[in-house]
Amino acid sequence: MWVLGFRAAPIAQAVRAGQFVNLLLRPGPLLRRPFSVYRTDGDVIEIVLRAVGEGTRGLLDLREGEVVSALGPLGRRFQLDAAMRRVTLLSGGLGVAPMPMAAREARALGLGITWVHGARTRAELCSEADGHDIRWATDDGSAGVLGSALDAVPSSDPGHVLACGPNRMLAAVAARWPDAQVAIETYMACGTGVCLGCAVPRRSGVYDRACTEGPVYRAGSIRWEDLPAELHYAVTA
Amino acid sequence: MTVDVGRVRLKTLVMAASGTFGYGTEVPLCDRRLLGGMVSKGIFLEPRGGTPPPRIVETPSGMLNAIGLQGPGVEALIRDYAPQWATWDFPVLVNVNGETVEEYGELACRLDGVPGVAGLEINISCPNVREGGMFFGNNASSAARVTEAVRRRTRLPVWVKLTPAVTDIAEIALACEEAGADALSAVNTFVGMSFDLRSRQPRLAFRTGGLSGPAIRPLAVYLAHRAAKAVSIPVVGVGGIASAADAMEFLLAGCKAVQVGTATFVDPNAIGKIAEGLRQYDSGRLDPNARSGPSI
Repeated sequence: MWVLGFRAAPIAQAVRAGQFVNLLLRPGPLLRRPFSVYRTDGDVIEIVLRAVGEGTRGLLDLREGEVVSALGPLGRRFQLDAAMRRVTLLSGGLGVAPMPMAAREARALGLGITWVHGARTRAELCSEADGHDIRWATDDGSAGVLGSALDAVPSSDPGHVLACGPNRMLAAVAARWPDAQVAIETYMACGTGVCLGCAVPRRSGVYDRACTEGPVYRAGSIRWEDLPAELHYAVTA
Repeated sequence: MTVDVGRVRLKTLVMAASGTFGYGTEVPLCDRRLLGGMVSKGIFLEPRGGTPPPRIVETPSGMLNAIGLQGPGVEALIRDYAPQWATWDFPVLVNVNGETVEEYGELACRLDGVPGVAGLEINISCPNVREGGMFFGNNASSAARVTEAVRRRTRLPVWVKLTPAVTDIAEIALACEEAGADALSAVNTFVGMSFDLRSRQPRLAFRTGGLSGPAIRPLAVYLAHRAAKAVSIPVVGVGGIASAADAMEFLLAGCKAVQVGTATFVDPNAIGKIAEGLRQYDSGRLDPNARSGPSI
């Protein structure tokens, strides 16, 4: 897992937790690649990524000083307020992406933060964490609790849950905490609402757009059974 | 630099293609001073939910999509969007769809005389619906029947968007002209398929999709050229245009104007940059080797 920083002052100043940027690599594959903003530092935005296909490989090959086109901030953010008192930031794998910004906003509101992060193995965990109570989980038990991130959530009241990770994990979050806010990942083209490619099936019967109405949703409002359990990236372009 | 495509006066040579510009309210970063006109997302009489995800997959220099003509239905389009279009300085055509010939006719009738609607583009070429769509477009007699049904029910300019999935596009183009079309858009997406090696399943939930993007450009240039040679009505070229040089190829092939689609997904101001590039070409300043715009 790698963190990449880009100087992008207008985005860094406007972005809120849960929002994303759509990055264009040239030369590179045809379409942009969407990333949650992981953190901001002054004029810099950071994203977190792993090489899963052509786009991410190309981004990780960038040298300092090279330029990419970034559209953002896009999408709707996590909604936090002081009345929540405590939040649990629950992430699986690269789902950690929106959590550092969520933690920063939660701290600014004076909320208690439980940080729960899971991955397949100790080596795949994101080593950065921000919370008053920090818990880990791994599928192979090599660090933290043996099991998924959900298994590592303390049994006491988690407060309001914010979650991001594979759809399978988010479906389990929805079953346990329907009012949780989840940030969903989908395949995406434009990121601006015109292509309708990033369809998210809602319980109300409609499809809407992860890029515009999402990517943050109330967990219980999604028809999880109609989303792919995992996204495969193997674009040769 | 206006251009007349039949009775539709475009502000520049470059239009937004159907399904890539929403209803014109969703692309704030496009420089509208350079937008020649637009075609709305395809509409049916009734609201449609669209196809399940995944709906898109990227392929070499292109993308497959199976959106399934998701949309709010014609009454919502007339109520929510047409009044805004009436205030814009570029023409908006509505892309019309039906599962039967009668539905196309009904839509034409409903849209006739609606302020803000500058014309209709008949979609007989969508690969992503089970009924209608491409199946009307792949033979001359059904293409002509749909065109006639629309022609009879409206005074609006009628364009027909052709499918590339035919043996002889010239024959279909001619049949549409004889049935009363004012212009043709050539061409829609190519049907394609892509498999995921891990799941061993098609990567699109709909299994097949429409291929767009630079991957199809030479195919589209050829088909637009074939259509333009066959008819005396104007042909609007569409298929993989991402730069002014690409647009020029369609104009050299005999097209009167062009539509830009997938490039807008990559750069929301692709149309503005292409229209600006064409202006430079006109004044001899466009480098014919400059394939790519600033960011495509």
